[in-house]
Formats: sequence, C-alpha cells, structure tokens
Amino acid sequence: MFLKVGKRLGHILPVLLGISIVSFGLIQLTPGDPARMILGNKASVEAVEAVRERMGLNEPVLQQYGNYMLNLVQGDLGESLRYQQPVSELIMQFLPVTGFLALYVIVLTVPLTILLGILAARNRGRWIDQLIRMTSVLGMTMPVFWLAMLMLRIFSVELGWFPVSGFGTGFVGHLHHLFLPAVSVSIYLIPVLVRNLRAALLEEMNADYVVASRSKGLPEGYIFRRHILKNASLPTLNLFGVLITWLIGGTVIVELVYAIPGLGTLMFNAILGRDYSVIQGLTLFYAFSTVIITLVTDMLSALIDPRIEL
Amino acid sequence: MSEPLLKVCNLDVSFRSRGGETHAVRNVSFDVGVGEIIGIVGESGSGKSVSCRAILGLLPESASVSGRIEYSDQNLLGLDTEGLRRIRGRDVSMVFQNPASHLDPLMAIGAQVSEPLIHHQDASPTQALDAAIERLREVQLEHPEQRVNSYPHELSGGMKQRVMIAAAIACGPGLLLADEPTTALDVTVQARILELLKSLNEQHYLSVVLVSHDLAVVAQVCDRVLVMRHGEIVESGDTKQVIYSPQHPYTQQLIESQPSRMTIRPPVATDTDTLLDVSNIDVEFASPGGGTMRALNDVSLILRQGESLGVVGESGSGKSTLARVVMGLVKPKSGDVKLRGQSILQKRNRLDLSVCRKVQMVFQNPYDSLNPRYSVYETIAEPLERHKLVPATKLDERVAELMGLVELDSSLASRKPAQLSGGQCQRVGIARALAMDPELLIADEITSALDVTIQAQIIALLNRLREERGLSVIFISHDLTLVRSFCDQVVVFQSGRIVESGAVSGVLEQPQKSYTQELLLSVPTL
Repeated sequence: MFLKVGKRLGHILPVLLGISIVSFGLIQLTPGDPARMILGNKASVEAVEAVRERMGLNEPVLQQYGNYMLNLVQGDLGESLRYQQPVSELIMQFLPVTGFLALYVIVLTVPLTILLGILAARNRGRWIDQLIRMTSVLGMTMPVFWLAMLMLRIFSVELGWFPVSGFGTGFVGHLHHLFLPAVSVSIYLIPVLVRNLRAALLEEMNADYVVASRSKGLPEGYIFRRHILKNASLPTLNLFGVLITWLIGGTVIVELVYAIPGLGTLMFNAILGRDYSVIQGLTLFYAFSTVIITLVTDMLSALIDPRIEL
Repeated sequence: MSEPLLKVCNLDVSFRSRGGETHAVRNVSFDVGVGEIIGIVGESGSGKSVSCRAILGLLPESASVSGRIEYSDQNLLGLDTEGLRRIRGRDVSMVFQNPASHLDPLMAIGAQVSEPLIHHQDASPTQALDAAIERLREVQLEHPEQRVNSYPHELSGGMKQRVMIAAAIACGPGLLLADEPTTALDVTVQARILELLKSLNEQHYLSVVLVSHDLAVVAQVCDRVLVMRHGEIVESGDTKQVIYSPQHPYTQQLIESQPSRMTIRPPVATDTDTLLDVSNIDVEFASPGGGTMRALNDVSLILRQGESLGVVGESGSGKSTLARVVMGLVKPKSGDVKLRGQSILQKRNRLDLSVCRKVQMVFQNPYDSLNPRYSVYETIAEPLERHKLVPATKLDERVAELMGLVELDSSLASRKPAQLSGGQCQRVGIARALAMDPELLIADEITSALDVTIQAQIIALLNRLREERGLSVIFISHDLTLVRSFCDQVVVFQSGRIVESGAVSGVLEQPQKSYTQELLLSVPTL
C-alpha cells in the first residue's frame, strides 16, 4: 500500500513539471510589461529598465526558467510585487480560510447528500422523490453568486443573523462567519451529488447480487446498507473528488461576495494587479492540490473496492 | 411416494407493463419429493426461470402471481415479506446463472457465505465464518481457509459458482432451486458442478429443482423432467421416458435439435489446395500485474479449401486469440499466417484490405455484434458501400440476395436488431460477413447464445453455405458434439497450445491426450 502510494506520488512529478512550464509561460505570454505595471505609467524608462534587471526579466528565457525551477525546488515561489512578501508565505496566510470553508462545505454536503440520495432512491416515484428531484434542479440552476447575494441581503442585512463579511476570530467565530458562504456552495453541490447517488443507488438496487442476497433471506435494510449503498457510493465518491478540486479553486465568487480573505480573493487581486509571481504560485498550488485530492479519492475508492488498483 | 416437499398448483404469473399484460407462466403444477432432483427444460422465454423465482417471491413488483405454492404444508404465496424472508436461504435457497454478477464484488466470499448463518441462526460472525469454511470445503473449493478472504474477482467462474452454492446450502435447506447454474461455465467445470449438486443431493437428502435450456444437462442428473414452452408445461415425466419416447411434438423437436442427434452430413472437401497456413504462431499480451502472458504458444495448423476446422478448448485457452490473429487484429510475436501462400502479416501495421476481405468473422453475441441503430438493410449494405463492391444501382439487389442466402425474409430489411430474435440477428451477422464474398469464415461460438432449436437451424444454414459456395470455415466452439457433427478437422487447445489435432473422426472417437478425453467425458449427452 505505502509502496503504491509512493509510486503514485512519483507520477505527480512530471505533472508538476508540465504545470510549472505553463505557469512560467504565463509571464512570458501575457501582454504588458510587469515592471511597467509595478511602477505605473508615469515611471521613466530607466526606472522600468532597472526593475526589469532586478527581476531577471532581461535574461534569456531558458535561464529565467532555470532560475525559476531552482527557486521552486527550494520552496521559493518568488515574491509578491503587491504585498512585498514571499508568495509561499502569502499562500500559507490565505490557505486556512479557504481550507476551513472547503471543510465546512464537506461537512454540510456529505451527510445531506447521503440522506437525500437514499430518501429519493428508496421512495422512487413517490412525492418525496419528486420533491427532492425538483428542488435539486432548482438548486443547480441558481447561480452561486446570485444566491450568495440574495442570502447576504436577507440573512445578514435584513435579519442580521450573520455577519456581512470577514472570517471572524476563534473556531465559533469562523463557523458563524462562514456559514452563509458554505451554505451557498453546498446548495450548488448537494443537488449534483444527490442526483448522482440516487441514480447509482437505483442501478445497484436492480443488480443481480441483490436478488441473490434476497434469496439468502437477508433483511432488506441490511441488503441496502451492506451491499447496495457500498456499491453505489463509488461513482458518487469519484464525483465528489472532482467537485472538491473544483471547490479549492472555485470559491472565488463566494469569497468575493462575502469578502472572505481566502485564496480566491488572493487570486482575484493578483490577477487585477498583474501580480505575476502570485498568479504563478497559486496556479502551481491549485494543480498540486488537485493531484493530491485525486490521489486521496483513488485511495478511498481502492479501500472500498478491492478490484481497484492504485 | 411420501408427501411431496414442494407442491406447485396452478401457478400463474403475469407482468404488467405499459403495453399491457404479459402472461409469462400459465397453469403450471408440479411436485418435488424429498431428496428428488427434478429438471425444468425450455428455451429462453418459456417461463422456467420465472416459475422458479415465483417460488421464493423473487419476482419484480410488476409481477402478479396466483395459484398455490406449498412448501411442507405452508403456502408460500400467502406469506408476507418477513415470513418469506424466514423461508429464503433457510428452507429453500437458490443459485443463479451468472455467478459473477450474483456475488457482491465488494465483499469477501467468506462473509457472503456467512450472511445467511448470521441472519437465520443468530451465529456470531466468527462462528459463521468457521461454518462458512466448512461449507466451502463441502463444495470442494480448494484451500477454503485462505480463500474466505478472497473477493469474487479473484476467483474463476467455476469457483464463484461453488461459492454461490456454499452460500445457498449454508443453513442446510431442504430445497435448492438451481437456475441455469452451469450455463456460463466451461464444459469440464459444468460436469464437476453437476457432480457436486448430485453429491449434495445424496449426502444431505437435498431436493433440487434444476432449470436448464440444455436437455442433456438435465438428463444427466434429474429423476424427473418438465418441458416448458410459452409458459406452460407441455410434457412431464420420468427423465428416461421423456427422452426416449417424447409425446409432445415440441419435445421431439427439442431432442432432434441436440447436436448429437443432428443428422447433417458435412460436404466432403474435394479441393485439396491449402487455403490457410498458420505456422508457429506465438502471441504475448502484457498481463495486468506486469510481465507478459503467453496467449498462443507455437501454434500451427493448415486449412484446406472447402474444409471446416473445429477449434475446441476451455475459455482462456486461446481459441479467440487465434481467430483474431487470422483476422489480422492481433499481431503475433513470431510465426506466419499465409492465405493462399501469401503472408497476411507482411505489411507493417497496415491491414491489407484485399486479404481482409477474404477472411470474415461472425461473433458470439448476435445482439452485441450489430449496431443497434442500424437496420438490417444498413448493416448488410455498409461493407458493400465502404468497399465499393457493387455499383450503387445494384445495392438493393445485392442486399436482397444476401438476405435470401441466409434465409431472412425481405420484409425484415427495415427492422433494427432489438426487433429481431437472436437467431435472426445471427443470420444478419452471417449475411454481413458474406457480403465481402469471403473464402474463409471464422465462426466464434456463434451458436452458444442461441436456443438449441435455433442452433440447429444456424448450423444447417452454415452447412448449406459450405456446400453451395465451397466456403471454408473455422468453427470455434466449446461444444464438442457440435464440432463432431459439423467439422472435418479439429484442433484441441489447452492454455494456448494445440494439444491434439487431426480428422474429427480420429480425434473425437479415439482421443490420444488425457485432456481431450476429459473434455469428451464432460459433455452431457442424451
């Protein structure tokens, strides 16, 4: 098992190499001069030239990439032009907020998905199934930003139940501050997952091994829990993995609406301010986390399904 | 005879669907005595499986069942779900056709055998596991102590069927319903599973209802047999009596369709030109665990013009790989394949179309090998158009001619595969192959998915094509009796090697190798 995980981690290296080339290419390919960006339009040509020299922008491309990689291996993602701070430090500073939000969403999503998915599948065609399916469509079709703004308006501004922005202090403070953002994201995620789980459950309920289990005289509840649910969880687990990777990079809108100081906000500001080293560093970080989450998903799948090899 | 264990009286089953009601079983009555093995024979759709499932209440909700099913004086049809649950697995249990899909892929086999013990006898998991090991030993699974932790995908088909039987007999039931338990298995494995059922019957006085499409299988182990057709029992009685003096015309037809009873005379090949020369073929595949697996090992054979060569062997023995090599779909590691003296392997990675046309293939599953969205006409016309074999103006004429050749009514031309029977689909597959005007037809288990009466018709068709067109055939089959009645030459495959070859009369009448002998002995015959 450990050997296989190590092997899989080894496979990540070429992926990261490819991503590093792409993220390095960002600077080379984008229009405009980073040095000019920092100094503004009124700066003299000499000043811009000096900054270019300091940033190494005048060296040959290959050498620039070499330097970049050398720094990267040492954990140095460069320095933010805007914050005047190492990028790795910046990421570490903003990551806990997004991480907290992601975990919050997971904690809200997983139990509700399982509950609603099972309810819908076991009552197929009855009113409760119809209700769950119809609200699902509603949840999926509402844009996240619109829902976020709506909830902010109602629950924070009108009713004053939740804060309008920020991350809060202390665990309870975080929970309180991030409740609405987490709900906004969950309302989008849960319908997708419920539909997937419901379909998988319905398919497994018709599987041959279910008839065979019945012929052995096993109770229906046991068959559902022990056989059907386990088999049906695999496709949903994989979809969940994909959605979580999306979540890490996709919280931008929610973070902006609720003014949460997370990675999404950092990325947004970096793009606006052409803070290239931050964009580069975040791109690399997103890629890395995607690979790791995929690996974890695969490991969980392998744990459930003995046929899956890592 | 003492009081029967199971009494089925006037069983009627119908299914509600959008199109109305379908009557699957009508007025079926039969008894099973203690320690008796009875067989239910019939073709697909005859209602034999449905009757079997009705006994345990395992039919889908759309089914409505009426009549009486009494198991030791208890009417099973009157029981609620909980009452039925107590009977299932404890008094009456069931084994199914496809062992791979009827076992939960995510649960170790030991746990699957333990389940009924835990739920019926309140055994603790460890007690149940010990008992499960005993049951697995009883069904002759080797090394049951280690195997309990294996998952279904780690076992062969025969082993999985043994596991399913072990789970079914775990609580020592009085009656075992076996629904086509050997259909998905190799013939040697089938023989061993039937032997096992017989020995369980003798040792535990276990009554068995054996459902099968294969009369020969039923004849081997059953005391009494019921013949079903269109949901009704058309004939029943003592096995010997039914087989030797069948009363109903359908039973007679069923018996005449048995390959061993078929009276086809293969045409004698007069032309002695060598058509296909396969010499010293080696094929290797990368195996999933790393390394390579040898699929074919030093395989050589010669097929003369107009001859029919039977290729027999168990699944995984390399039969289909040979077909793929001759088709040019698999490149052998070494060796050569010559068609009329010309190697088909010369061109690197590019199939020589003129050679491909001369070799055509018909596949095992008639539905899967046809495009479900294509009509019969489109399926047959496609190769003609792609290879520009006939001018566009003659296309209709040629398709009609090909359909006539395989005895398909021209009114079927616009139908899609889903609207055809299995036998009709297979005829379309043959017509599609014949469209290329091939010299060699590879038939890969083309009748194994078909009912026995349809099988007889397809074989007669192939035989006629050989006679009329001098077509050479490579006939891949697991059924030795079929090969015996259809082929001139035979090669026997075992683990990628040819273990025996020669004229059918020689090899199958006086086999030299023990493997061939075992294969022959395993074949159930009437």
